[in-house]
Amino acid sequence: MEHTSGFVLPNSGHSRDDEASKLGMWLFLFTELLLFGGLFIVYMVYRMLNHESFLLSSFELNVGLGSFNTVVLLVSSMTIAMAITAVQKGEQQKAVRLLVTTLALSFVFLVVKYFEWSAKIHHGLFPGMDYYNGLPKGESLFFFLYFIMTGLHALHIIIGAVIIAVVIARTRKGLVNKDKYALAENAGLYWHLVDLIWIYLFPLFYLIH
Amino acid sequence: MENTNHHNQHDEVHISSYRDHWRTLLTLLLLTLVTIVISVFGANLKALSVATALLIATVKVVVVAYYFMHLKYDKKLYTWLVLLVAILFAAFTILTATEYFNR
Repeated sequence: MEHTSGFVLPNSGHSRDDEASKLGMWLFLFTELLLFGGLFIVYMVYRMLNHESFLLSSFELNVGLGSFNTVVLLVSSMTIAMAITAVQKGEQQKAVRLLVTTLALSFVFLVVKYFEWSAKIHHGLFPGMDYYNGLPKGESLFFFLYFIMTGLHALHIIIGAVIIAVVIARTRKGLVNKDKYALAENAGLYWHLVDLIWIYLFPLFYLIH
Repeated sequence: MENTNHHNQHDEVHISSYRDHWRTLLTLLLLTLVTIVISVFGANLKALSVATALLIATVKVVVVAYYFMHLKYDKKLYTWLVLLVAILFAAFTILTATEYFNR
């Protein structure tokens, strides 16, 4: 017996490595950052080439709704961070409530986005529509980038909401608890990333007049 | 031997307090307010507004990463990796912009 002790195969048995899964999550987030980063560079170049059109088009967007959604995402970032604090302290019920709040806020964001998009589509600004096709090149580029970038971001919100729903279910069952919360932490990291991207999207599309 | 096999826990975990989270949110909301005020009421600061908006956004991103994403309390490895990616992205951006201005 003695000579076998201390010799453990890596990853054998039911060992788990929370630090490694967090590192994996961060590496994935980097690929996401560069995905959006590429789009931001495209935006930069087209903006430099079509300065006036971009300026003009940005006035079409509703600053009030954009600001409201910014606040919604910032608050949801706080509630998910608090949920992790709650899990770490062993306050399971509180954690579930905070996660449900985060999920509800993600729906609020999507509903507001839905109304914003509907208004734009109603005006014929969606790529391919008649009104859009008649716009000057610069303005159609602005709306093309607006739909691509906020659309990709909204897709991330939807994925984030699904992940949060999974975390809620597992926290209620006690599978996420104060000794095992890597899943909640990684979901939090993903949700904060979605918030980070919006922090840049908001001023670039709505505010830069 | 059983337990030493588990790398998982978190030898000295830092648990952020609820109050810390409130404070972080307040900071972020104030920065958002500043950006909106500059953009909506500072029309005569046209040249400034793009740079200021991006600068404030970057400050907000740093606050989120540092406190909400826990970089402040995690291993320094994560901070270095984030900086590496930030430098990489800045390099792409600067190279593209330089190429544009030298046409």
